[in-house]
Amino acid sequence: MNIFLKDIDNEKLVTWDYLIDDINNTSIYNPYCKSADYYTVFKHIILSFLIDEEIILLDSDFTESELINLTGRSEYTEFSKPFEKCKISNLSNQRELIEKLSNSSKNWKITLFTSGTTGIPKKVSHDFKSITRFVKVSERNEKSIWGFAYNPTHMAGIQVFFQALLNGNSIIRLFGLDTKDIYTEITNNGITHISATPTFYRLLLPYDELFPSIERITSGGEKFNKKTFNQLNEIFPNAKITNVYASTEAGTLFASQNDIFSVRPEYEHLIHIENNELLIHRSLMGSPETNFDEWYNTGDVIEIVSKKPLKFRFVNRKSEMINVGGYKVNPLEVEEAILALTGIKNVRVYSKPNSVLGNIICCEVVTNSNQITESSIRTFLQSKIQEFKIPRIIRFVDELSTTRTGKLKRN
Amino acid sequence: MNEKILEIMNTVLDNRTKEKLTSITTEMHLRNDIGFDSLDLAELTVRIEAEYDIDIFEDGIVNTVGEILKKLESK
Repeated sequence: MNIFLKDIDNEKLVTWDYLIDDINNTSIYNPYCKSADYYTVFKHIILSFLIDEEIILLDSDFTESELINLTGRSEYTEFSKPFEKCKISNLSNQRELIEKLSNSSKNWKITLFTSGTTGIPKKVSHDFKSITRFVKVSERNEKSIWGFAYNPTHMAGIQVFFQALLNGNSIIRLFGLDTKDIYTEITNNGITHISATPTFYRLLLPYDELFPSIERITSGGEKFNKKTFNQLNEIFPNAKITNVYASTEAGTLFASQNDIFSVRPEYEHLIHIENNELLIHRSLMGSPETNFDEWYNTGDVIEIVSKKPLKFRFVNRKSEMINVGGYKVNPLEVEEAILALTGIKNVRVYSKPNSVLGNIICCEVVTNSNQITESSIRTFLQSKIQEFKIPRIIRFVDELSTTRTGKLKRN
Repeated sequence: MNEKILEIMNTVLDNRTKEKLTSITTEMHLRNDIGFDSLDLAELTVRIEAEYDIDIFEDGIVNTVGEILKKLESK
């Protein structure tokens, strides 16, 4: 049996044959895709590709007000429409599907949302070329079995999906499962590749069994420490461990075996360093709604290790975005959401280093009503923003702490 | 100490409108039995640190209530 996707959380086991039948029997398409079911998301991406239309991916846990902010609406049923069946002539097998996918479509694009640096989440679109820049299709990869450890509507998840899809691999969902189940799935399915955030790996540790089937561990999204690295090496004795640098705007850009990233010679002229900040050329970016200048400021401060060939190390982030277990949270967006609650006079959202998630969101609030409690703020926010953006520590203060320049202090 | 840990755990559970615990035992698994996810564990460590001045996850994730108590006792 050739598995396309196994998702024990949604009780799904889908073979490639089933996928192909299902695509052949589908005649309706909706460009907006918001589903907690991984198979639905994956099938939609494939379908959009075959009929050469845009797909807009929405996180399944976006709240109604986030959806309205992002897309101007929260209901998408009216966008469902039949498509011309001739656009996808009946597929006969996996090989034919992959061949069709590899002949890149002209109009196809995938659109997702990322927390913008200015408080408003922004829309980023990618075409086939930018989404698959780092996809490697080869005979060697044909036998890979992927442990899927990202949200399927986020950039990293989409990249893993394409890597697996174009090589005709099996995808085994690991994201959001209990540790016990993750290890069972690795063993039962003989998973060979996992790509995940350091937080995902940290939550797997420590463990006293070995998993020899894993050949490759990839990590990205936040800083990966030596300790986690060493522990992973013990549990996965046959795995090569790689760090990647990627962003929603540009996708995967660099990879490293340790914390030093080297730039491939063909990309060197597309990288620029200004005041220690990493700038990347427009041609490496997806197309955002608002046009970038020629060079895009990543907000990442780097330290150059060698100039020729170009090698560098990440030092910290210049922007105020808070990295919570690989998810970027914009403190301004959270502050705005809290301020919308009647009785809140002022708020400051900041981060605190945390051994589980890297950082944790905290806030200080000034209220002018005794009706406001920690739980009333939380309940209110649960309808406004995604769970990982909600401050876990809320302090009530008489006035906010500010820096000497009068700016609100974040750390 | 058990009482205090129970109280802290219930604060974390309550914050996510998850069901509170009536008691804890050392064998209880933080994720599988109590139902903490990574966001909860992150909050738990901050709250325990505020009370006991010790980061229970500093050397990697602990899995059971007993392991937390051991960390705090060995302080």
